[in-house]
Amino acid sequence: MTALAEKANIITSSLDFIVNWGRKNSLWPFPYGTACCAIEFMSTETARYDLSRIGSEYVRFTPRQSDVLLVAGTITYKQAPILKRIYEQMAEPRWVIAMGACASSGGFYDAYCTVPGIDHIIPVDVYIGGCPPRPESFFDAMFQLQEKIQDESYMKARAERVKEQLEMIKAKTAECKENAEKAVKNAVSCGVQTIKEGRDNLMKKVAFWKE
Amino acid sequence: MADCEKLLAILEEKFGAKRDLADKWGFTVLVERENLHALMLFLRDDQSAKFDVLLDIVGVDYLGFKDYEGPRFAVEYVLKTMKAPVRRMRVKVLVSETDCKVPSIADLYAIANWQEREVFDQYGVVFEGHPDLRRLLNHAEFEGHPLRKDYPAHKRQWLSTNDYLLPELEARLESKGYKIVARSKEVMPNDDEYLEGSRKV
Ligand code: SF4
Repeated sequence: MTALAEKANIITSSLDFIVNWGRKNSLWPFPYGTACCAIEFMSTETARYDLSRIGSEYVRFTPRQSDVLLVAGTITYKQAPILKRIYEQMAEPRWVIAMGACASSGGFYDAYCTVPGIDHIIPVDVYIGGCPPRPESFFDAMFQLQEKIQDESYMKARAERVKEQLEMIKAKTAECKENAEKAVKNAVSCGVQTIKEGRDNLMKKVAFWKE
Repeated sequence: MADCEKLLAILEEKFGAKRDLADKWGFTVLVERENLHALMLFLRDDQSAKFDVLLDIVGVDYLGFKDYEGPRFAVEYVLKTMKAPVRRMRVKVLVSETDCKVPSIADLYAIANWQEREVFDQYGVVFEGHPDLRRLLNHAEFEGHPLRKDYPAHKRQWLSTNDYLLPELEARLESKGYKIVARSKEVMPNDDEYLEGSRKV
């Protein structure tokens, strides 16, 4: 064992793989529970089903610390702007699970008061059917989300994200180069000037002493 | 029931109330809205009545109701007492569409405040003398009254932004004896943040 440990301990891998591995195994849900489906989510969290097996035991009650927005319950029109604001407050990367018939399609509340599916307000990654869905289906949704995350590319997203920054940096560098070149030219011409002046002075002095 | 039948004579004499015979299984009295407030006060305080619980205020829209003639709306007050086992009564006021007003009884029963707001929200019945008659269930930008029979059941209405409730919350905290020591700039009451129809504090 010691002999092994003394040797260099390096694994090579792609950054995408490592990042996705980390992300998908610690998805922290934000439970946006407005109705009966939230109860089912609670039982998913308990010891019998135990969501911590896939690293999601940290239920965060602030959107700024969570990755998965779990919409469990009926969303009314009065509730809709609040849900949208919560979604906007979440940091990237973020995913959304619509749990149950109500969140996915409005369910049987086919009336003036209920939003017919939260995809009218925010993008949804995984839908879960059922009224309410069993904890098993919730796990299934989490696995599907994990699969989805596996296919995402951190580097591509990053390139997309820093595109503007990169262009700005390029423009700045070109500008700096130009400035530097100008400065060098100036300095050189200045130097030539001083040398010329010095020589003239010297000539004058020499002429003086000769006299 | 027996208690209520005894009461009926007094109600008839004092407030001009009538028993509603359409209600075969319960006990409902019909009353003019001018007498409603006095009648409710009597029912609450009189020794033989003592209806100390107002279970619900219900709106009814009779538009398109089979074989019905009369004013379009009705408001029903469901009363119960804790003093006797089965004494229950309903009081019904008929309201026409053109003059859709009923006196408020929010000063008699505290719960009537929200119940009247709900009936106002869903049916558009105006409760005169109500301290704060706003929508209760539907959002501030909602137009129309959804439980009226002529409201299309699938007409959905979006709310543009959530209501600005912080000043209301602060006022409530202060009324409970808390003190607001500091506010950040973002939460200062700002007129632009209010939706039309919401209450300003
Ligand atoms: S889908 Fe069913 S269980 Fe879930 S919130 Fe709607 S009504 Fe409740």
